[in-house]
Amino acid sequence: MSEVLHAAAVSADASRIAPKTVRMKSFGVGSKPTLLISLATAAALIALWWGITELAVVPRLFLPTPGEVLTQFNIVLREGYAGAFLGEHLSASLFRIVLAAVIAISLGIPLGLLMGLNRWAKGILDTPIEFYWPLPPLSYLPLMIIWLGIGETSKITLLVLAMFAPICLSAQAGVRSLPIERVNAARSLGASRFRLFLNIVLPTALPEILTGIRIALGVGWSTLVAAELIASNRGIGYMIMSASQFLATDVVFVGIAIIAACAFAFGAAVRLFERALVPWKGKS
Amino acid sequence: MLKVDHASVHFEADDGRIVHALDRVSLDIPDNGFVVALGASGCGKSTLLNAIAGFLPLSDGVITLNGKSVVGPGADRGVVFQKDTLLPWKNVIDNVALGLKFAGIPKLEQHRRSAELLKLVGLADFANAFPYELSGGMRQRVGIARALATEPDILLMDEPFGALDSLTREQMQELLVSVWKKTGKRVFFITHSVEEALFLGTQVIVMSPRPGRIVARFDLDFVNRFAESNDAREIKASPEFTNLREEIRALLHGAHDIRSAAE
Ligand SMILES: Nc1ncnc2c1ncn2[C@@H]1O[C@H](COP(=O)(O)OP(=O)(O)O)[C@@H](O)[C@H]1O
Ligand SMILES: [Mg+2]
Repeated sequence: MSEVLHAAAVSADASRIAPKTVRMKSFGVGSKPTLLISLATAAALIALWWGITELAVVPRLFLPTPGEVLTQFNIVLREGYAGAFLGEHLSASLFRIVLAAVIAISLGIPLGLLMGLNRWAKGILDTPIEFYWPLPPLSYLPLMIIWLGIGETSKITLLVLAMFAPICLSAQAGVRSLPIERVNAARSLGASRFRLFLNIVLPTALPEILTGIRIALGVGWSTLVAAELIASNRGIGYMIMSASQFLATDVVFVGIAIIAACAFAFGAAVRLFERALVPWKGKS
Repeated sequence: MLKVDHASVHFEADDGRIVHALDRVSLDIPDNGFVVALGASGCGKSTLLNAIAGFLPLSDGVITLNGKSVVGPGADRGVVFQKDTLLPWKNVIDNVALGLKFAGIPKLEQHRRSAELLKLVGLADFANAFPYELSGGMRQRVGIARALATEPDILLMDEPFGALDSLTREQMQELLVSVWKKTGKRVFFITHSVEEALFLGTQVIVMSPRPGRIVARFDLDFVNRFAESNDAREIKASPEFTNLREEIRALLHGAHDIRSAAE
């Protein structure tokens, strides 16, 4: 009845042929690669665009061909547009968003952490944040202009406000995600309050904070371009606005492509940061 | 000597009722003692441990360690939790060194001492691994090394092997015995496995819930016998061991039956 079987001899034989591997069927997308599908879709969309323009279904004025957009990009690159070189438009936009991001991060992280740690800080700061955070930033842009003028200050303040809330809220959520066992473990190892904050609370909140920064940058780009459309004489958003007034659809396309590339680059940079700073994310 | 003297802990539950998690519990843990608290869940084992660790104030009574009253957590009491509490952003050796870092000890010395402890728990080759690369049993071994690093007077362990498979669990028990013998630390260990309690403890206290009390104490010698013979299976199969195991099982079920009859 209770025999001990020696299976080892059998498997030695089987190792000569490549074994057939199997896998449990997953539900949903799981970890199946999607890159090729995405690239094919992009190619198909460009082909569709090209096809529509070739067949002249839509007037050129409304939808330029891919070739025209490319040519226009070269022209704008060489000669500039709407009173400034492309580099000047781009650096005006980048300056605004980077400066605003730096301010929003250096205010949002400490205040968010404080709100996660202190009842008074949370009670006091919750009120204004919960009030203004759901508002679309453009709804208070006029107010910014009345108070701070049409210059850089009003646009950067607007951006800071738009980016501050997601960073602050995520820093708070990061503190809340701290398990009490982790705190107790550190305290029983002799951690002072300062050490507890620096070596336990801060790193625990870091993944959430980075997620918050990524969301903030997304909000930042949409707010920036909208603000530039309304009140500016430099910047990619302003370039698009000027082009639209002359029905220069190809320049509008160039502007949109540049914004898309920038926003993508920012997102990729944060993801690289995440990989370097929180390699354990999703693994424990 | 760690002394728990008539310690009581009362909680207010969410519905406003008072839970007597610990009711006038007294306990001495002598030098080199390995005291195991045994009981079904909810009988106040963790409450007792948290009070000794200083995470939880007492409603009544006192706890003293070497004559000094316990008022908060400190590095003189090392804690190993059931859920591993390693820091995911630090590698194994830096996790072990955490208490030494908090004590302001220079990095080189931190690593020298931590490497020794890793050798003690059999993880010398994993100093640079990250916690997410380790199995559950290995993580608990890192947790033990970390708790020992600050050279505490007592090791407090709350169901440290509760989440491990039975094979790993037995290996960990044997490892813990060897660590205990080599370091000579006092240990206060919580489990709800009768076999684990009997195998490890020089003293086993059996607790019953509502109110949390010690209902029986046993002085045992199995762990010392294991340290000499190194044959865990023989000890666990001995009639002396199995008889006592069944006796305590009956006691635990009895305590349970009395309680459910009263409700
Ligand atoms: N923070 C708390 N608030 C209210 N009741 C609690 C709290 N912690 C534990 N209890 C209650 O105290 C009793 C003992 O809990 P515990 O010490 O965790 O038991 P054990 O560790 O033996 O399973 C249980 O009935 C539990 O519900
Ligand atoms: Mg418990």
